[in-house]
Formats: sequence, structure tokens, C-alpha cells
Amino acid sequence: MNQLVFLLEEPSAKAMLEGVLPRLLGDNVNVVYVVFEGKQDLEKRLPRRLRAWQNPNARFVVMRDQDSGDCYEIKRKLVGICEEAGRPDVLVRVACHELESFYLGDLQAVASTIGPNTLAKQQNNAKYRDPDRLNNAAQELKRIAKAYQKLAGSRAIGPALSLDENRSRSFNQLIGGIKELAGV
Amino acid sequence: MLIETLRIKNFKSFRQAEMKNLPRFCVVVGANGSGKSNLFDVFGFLKDCLTFNVKQALQARGGFREVLSRGVDETESIELEIKFRMNIAGVERLVTYLIEIGIENRQVVVRREVLRYKRGRYGSPYHFLDFIKGTGYAITNEEDFDKQDEELEREQQNVGKDALAIKGLGQFERFKAANAFRQLIENWHVSDFHINLARGSKEAIGEYEHLSVSGDNLQLVARNIYENHPDIFQEIVTAMKHRVPGVSQVEPILTQDGRLILNFQDKTFKDPFIDKYVSDGTIKMFAYLVLLYDPEPHPLLCIEEPENQLYPTLLWELAEEFRAYAERGGQVFVSSHSPDFLNAVSLEEVYWLVKEQGYTQIRRAEEDSQLKAFIAEGDQMGYLWKEGLFPGADPR
Repeated sequence: MNQLVFLLEEPSAKAMLEGVLPRLLGDNVNVVYVVFEGKQDLEKRLPRRLRAWQNPNARFVVMRDQDSGDCYEIKRKLVGICEEAGRPDVLVRVACHELESFYLGDLQAVASTIGPNTLAKQQNNAKYRDPDRLNNAAQELKRIAKAYQKLAGSRAIGPALSLDENRSRSFNQLIGGIKELAGV
Repeated sequence: MLIETLRIKNFKSFRQAEMKNLPRFCVVVGANGSGKSNLFDVFGFLKDCLTFNVKQALQARGGFREVLSRGVDETESIELEIKFRMNIAGVERLVTYLIEIGIENRQVVVRREVLRYKRGRYGSPYHFLDFIKGTGYAITNEEDFDKQDEELEREQQNVGKDALAIKGLGQFERFKAANAFRQLIENWHVSDFHINLARGSKEAIGEYEHLSVSGDNLQLVARNIYENHPDIFQEIVTAMKHRVPGVSQVEPILTQDGRLILNFQDKTFKDPFIDKYVSDGTIKMFAYLVLLYDPEPHPLLCIEEPENQLYPTLLWELAEEFRAYAERGGQVFVSSHSPDFLNAVSLEEVYWLVKEQGYTQIRRAEEDSQLKAFIAEGDQMGYLWKEGLFPGADPR
């Protein structure tokens, strides 16, 4: 396998992955990011990107936020789109509920990059023990880490995110999926 | 300071317009000629009225007739009203400032100027400064908030018919509200950045605390940050490294003849480039960073089309930097023609201008239920704008 293509709904997801993937994948994996302008745009253009992708050895990961939708339904729909485009092997991962859920699952990473320092201690609060249950993760993160901005924050937090100690199940699902796909 | 409401009447293309519940970061889009610059000029005009005087502020814009909306009778007034939150004598107040400017016997006259705020949760607002054609009063003991109205001390004053009372009275400490408000407006920054003025060697002596409106003191401000806030300067350089390929270091240099220049270092080469020879986009990005990482934010920052000369993927972060600046205590107004910039902006932060029968109307994205629904489904503002979903925004 030589190429791993991430199809994402916004630049912040790319910024986060850029901080995570080098620690997960070896040097021989060529990572490519395709960044769309939101969910509608992702769904609309996804089939064309898959169908016309020229590298036959490429493997694909589609990632989007759950937001207010139903997690399983979103996944089913995206899998359906990929199948229709002739790529049933695409890995589809949904962030529950948002990218920020990943960060709430590792407050140590947030504390060391965005601050405040005291944040790390809050990880065992009921809320952050299972951050995927919070449906307003972005709002919640902004509340406890006031300096957070989506893109700049993701770029800062990404490299600090722990690969094996995150309380967000959807983050762990993503990491597990990528590992399997990349064979590492 | 946070401006909550802006009401404009008879000012240029604004016959009658209002913006309520303004957020800290406001982004305005609209077709060419829809009135974006006029909206920003409300702030520039108020600042000019204070820095110079009302007559000069009008003259700089072609005179009263040019500033008064087209089709409006000359006997009518230009009215500007802003409501803002401000700290007065240790308490945060919702203050209203209102001016009405007209022309009488061919002379510019400030027909009415009022600064008022509520002293308690209930009751009608109290006028702390009230002038009609140059004559009026201001209160001098605003710290005694519990006093009955009749116990507040009014001081009668005369200022010129064409002068703002906050300009005259604001110089004196005893008029606390006028003084505080005057200082705020003086620190408004309505950008008119010119890349060519920002380049080149500069006299080392001059204003160095804040970037000037034209950007012509970039080297001085950069040196001030470099010497007095090295950690902030390092953040700026780090941001430059990520955004401009080939820039590995920036350094203000004092030349032998006492002038300041900026050196841009590309790590591939030994000799740096001086600011005169780096690209427009490089200078502009550096100037924005110097402006936005300012340790003391302006209470109000207005910037038109910041996207010009910049690579599209940099705009998301630039928008975030404007927002972060606002969150540090300022308020930021930006106009833009860039969907990439708008993609980083949230529903509550977006306005668009529509011209109807010659006059500008202001629309807010948040009040459009269709846009709201699309955003809830995970779309981005710039994308929706490009699809033509801002009713009336596109040129027809």
C-alpha cells in the first residue's frame, strides 16, 4: 500500500490529522488530503473523486462530523455513496459528535497546547469521561479553553493527541481503522 | 468596548439602516457598490469628526451634500447612533451616543449630540451629555450613581456649533463618560493599508506602539514587538514560516544612517532579502500578523477585503486570528469577497448588503431560516454564499 487518501469536510480535520498520522504511519505511506467545503460539498463531490482517482493502490478514508445527525445513518449513507462509486473498501469514520469530541477526550493535549494548564485534571469529570455523548463538543471546548479556534487549535492539539489514551471512542475507532487499513 | 447596535440614517447609501446585537467579529459581504465601504466609513467618519472636526470630516468626503443620502431633502439631518458597552467609573454600562448633523445658513451644524445611559435596570435613560447646536450640559459627578437626578451636577458649556462636545469636553477628566468615550473612538482603527507605504526603510523615530492606518510604520512597530515582546515576535515569525514558503526568519534592522528596515531570511540562502524586495503577499501577511498580535488590541478594528494578495488556504486561519483578536477585548469588522474567508466564519458573524431602490439594506445570516438550516446540516458560509443562497446578495 502506498497511498492513503483522506476525504474531509473541513481544513481543521486535516490540521489535526497532520499532527497525528506521522506518529501512526511509517514513512513509506504517502498521505493525501482532499478538503471539501462542508458536508453537502463532501457528499456531492465524493463519488467523482473516488471514481476518477488515478492511483490503483490508493486506499480511502472518509471522515465527517456527526453534528446533529444520526451517527449510523450518516455512516450508512456515506458507505452507500462509496459503494455506488465502485469503492466498497473505503473506510468511513464519523466523529461523534464533532472533531472537538476528540480533543475533549484528551484534555492533557488541550492543556499543554491551548491551555489553561489546569484542564488536564478535569478529564475524570463525568462529562469528559465519555465525551462522545456531548452533542455540543465545540461549544464545550470553547467554554473551557477560551483561546481555542478551530483550525489553529487543531494544528496545535494534533501533534499532542495521545494515540492510545483518548476517552473519545470515535477517535479510537478512527485510529484503529487507519491502522488496519495501513497495515501497521 | 462592544458596539451592540448601530443605527444609520441619511448617511451615504444608508437611508435607514440598523444592525442589532452585533457580535465581536462581524463579516460583511455584498456586491461591488452595495455599500460595504460606506458602512465602514461610518466609523471612519466618527473618528474624523473627533480627530479633526465635523466640517473637515464632511469635506474629506466631498461635503455635506455628498455625504447626505441621495434624494434626501437638504433640511434633513445625517443621524448616527451607536449603542455600546463601556466601563464608566468602574461599572459596565450600555451607553448610547447619538449625533445629528445638518446644514443651516450654509453652515455645518451639530443639531443634537447626546450621550446617555441607564443608571439602573429600570427607568428611562439619563442624558449625561446633551448638546443642541453647540450649547448644552454634561454631568460631572457620574461616580455618584445612587444620587437622585436632581443631585447630579450639570455643567453648562458652549462648544462651536460645528464641533462635537465629546471632543471639547472629553479632554477634561471630570466628564468621565465623555472622556472615556473620546479615548475609545480615538483608538478605533479603520485600516487603509497600502503595501507600498509599508515597504522600504523608515525613520527610526515615530509612532511604534500600533500599526498606523496605512501601515507605513510597520518596521517601527515590528521592532517594538521584537525588543519588548520577544515571545509575541516569535509567534509572528512561526506563523510566517508556516504560511510563506521560504521565510525562516524576520528581523528588524537599524541601518547606520538611523533608519529601520526588515530583513526576511530564506534558510536556503545566506543573505536576507530586505522588505523592499519581498512579495506583496509576504509584506501584507506580516503586517496583518503585526496588527493582530498587538499586545493591546484596538477597541474597534475595521478592515476591508483582507484576502487580497493572499493564498486562499491561509484565509481560514486569518479569519480565526481576527476573531481571536476580537475575543481579546476588541471588536472587528471585516468586509470580504472571499468564500474561503467566509467558510471560517460562523452564522452569527455574517451580514450581507443588498441595494434596493438605490439604498443599502443590511441582512443578517442568522435571521435567515434557510441559511440557519443549512448550517445546522454542516455546510459552510462561503459555500452557501457561492451557491447563491444569500438572497439579493449577488449582482443581478
